[in-house]
Amino acid sequence: MSKDVWFRNRLIRDAIYHAIYGRMKVDDSIYIMGEGSHMKVHFDAPNIEKDFPSRVITLPISEDANTNFAVGMSLAGAKPIVDVITADFLYRTMDSICNTVAKTNFVSNPKTIVIRSEFMTAGPTTGQRPESLFTHIPGLNVVVPSNPLDAHGLMDTVLKTKAATLFFEDRMIEDKTTFPEDVDTHLDVIPLSKAKIRKKGNKVTIVSYALSLRMLDILLQRENLDYELIDLRSIYPVDYDLIAESVRKTGRLLIVEPDVAYAGVGAEIASQISERCFDYLTHPVTRLGAPRTTIPSSRSLHDFMLPSEKRVLEVAKELSK
Amino acid sequence: MKIDLLTLYRRMVTVRLVENKLQECCFRGEAGDLHFSKGQEAISVGVCAALRPTDYIVTHHRTIAHEIAKGASLHSLIAEIFGKATGINKGLAGEMHINNPEIRHMFSFQLVGTCVPVAVGLAYALRYYRKTDDIVAVFFGDAATSNGQVHEALNIAKIKRVPLLLVCENNGLAGNITKEYYLPTETVAERMAAYGIKAHTLDGNDVKKVMVATQIAAGEVRESSTPYLLDMNTTRLCWHKQGQKDVRSQEELQMLAERDPLLLMERRMKLTLENKKKIWKSIEEELDVTFAKAKKDPWPKMVSVND
Repeated sequence: MSKDVWFRNRLIRDAIYHAIYGRMKVDDSIYIMGEGSHMKVHFDAPNIEKDFPSRVITLPISEDANTNFAVGMSLAGAKPIVDVITADFLYRTMDSICNTVAKTNFVSNPKTIVIRSEFMTAGPTTGQRPESLFTHIPGLNVVVPSNPLDAHGLMDTVLKTKAATLFFEDRMIEDKTTFPEDVDTHLDVIPLSKAKIRKKGNKVTIVSYALSLRMLDILLQRENLDYELIDLRSIYPVDYDLIAESVRKTGRLLIVEPDVAYAGVGAEIASQISERCFDYLTHPVTRLGAPRTTIPSSRSLHDFMLPSEKRVLEVAKELSK
Repeated sequence: MKIDLLTLYRRMVTVRLVENKLQECCFRGEAGDLHFSKGQEAISVGVCAALRPTDYIVTHHRTIAHEIAKGASLHSLIAEIFGKATGINKGLAGEMHINNPEIRHMFSFQLVGTCVPVAVGLAYALRYYRKTDDIVAVFFGDAATSNGQVHEALNIAKIKRVPLLLVCENNGLAGNITKEYYLPTETVAERMAAYGIKAHTLDGNDVKKVMVATQIAAGEVRESSTPYLLDMNTTRLCWHKQGQKDVRSQEELQMLAERDPLLLMERRMKLTLENKKKIWKSIEEELDVTFAKAKKDPWPKMVSVND
């Protein structure tokens, strides 16, 4: 990962909008709504602005009511994509997500609702990663793609799925290995709940997602290690079958997550895999993640927030011996 | 649509009797923790009588009156409250989370205030996505106007011009708490000025007045696709939840009972005691059968369990 975390990666976002536009063309029930939505499509998806202006609804800075508004629209058959500015703002709409979205889908026939948010990095309330929190709430799927192709395929999938999904865009990912034209030429259909093996190997299973996955992918390619790298793609549902199959082969599991590790999704995976693969594990399951610390504003302190390349390498090398 | 006073009266009595019977069930441990609308029946019955059957309602947690007024099957409603598989939502929703699309009652919400933004979104979609002239009536209490979501929703409703009838069941109570703890204004109606939403205050215990006011307001909402508030003063004669002891004084309760919407209706209809008893008895007999059936109905099976 480059030190320049300010770099704004357009590619994942382009892929997400590409998928949304594709679905909007064939499904007239899809609406984009939220804070500054028309301004967002103006800059990021001019084709949506041009072709479907009436299906982009800009709402005030009232996150909680906005998500409930989306639920109301879904009750009339619309499929809302809710823009929530950044992940920190999700705390302001926890009630409507956890109490309304998740519960109305339980009581009635489930409806498609997608809540989009992105991770930033600018300080205490502008850079939090609350994705693991939502995996605890029954009725919510949580998607965190690591690259544009997955972002495209998974957005396409969730817009065809009768369920509520939190769809995160990891703005800290610098993607220099995938180009926009890939989006047009590799339209993968990606089912929700299928993880992806990014690299096959035998000595250690490394499970990760989003920003951390990208960091590992680039970092470990440079090393002469025998590892299997699994990209979760969604942190609910989690593809336990694929992870277990890999761990039965390697006997070792390292989980690297960009979210606070304490009580995060990595802890859940560690527990489930320990139960499923106890007889196969030759080493204790290891987790690396963000410390349980408020995000400092100064760029100079950001390196303390995620497991460093040095630390990840140390652990990966030790486990793949 | 012409509805005679007797039909309206019978509907209100049905609500009262269903709640009375459920109260007995609670005391016997057959149902638990229910929220009744005793004394507020005229609002649900009057508003729903003035709406078109194709119009929608979204409501708060005192759902029994709304469901009956909108025309729910009594058996499905009571079975739902008992948590039975034959209930409206197969026992998944219970009294406070009912969703009954068949009668266009799109959810009741236990969390105070949620119903308003959801109703705004529904009204928006009906007008601008489905392009119908159906409207949404959202029921909430005066106490809900102390919740931020309600204000966020009013803001959106006006900006987006949605066909929404705001029905405030103004009983001067937030749970068991009185007005001085949550409402800084005399009326709820005056709070609408901040959003440029038209509002009308009236006696919510007079079912005929409620119906007429709703007809006028609903017409305007439908015609101009705009939110409109009816601030209806009413009296909740029961305490917040079943089984709780009412701490109001006997004098106060007696004074409130004088405003009982059923009593007002009996006076208007010049109903004799004998005729009243006849009406109540016929409804009660019907309910006895319905309750007995619902009690015997099967329990639901768990639908899905995720790991």
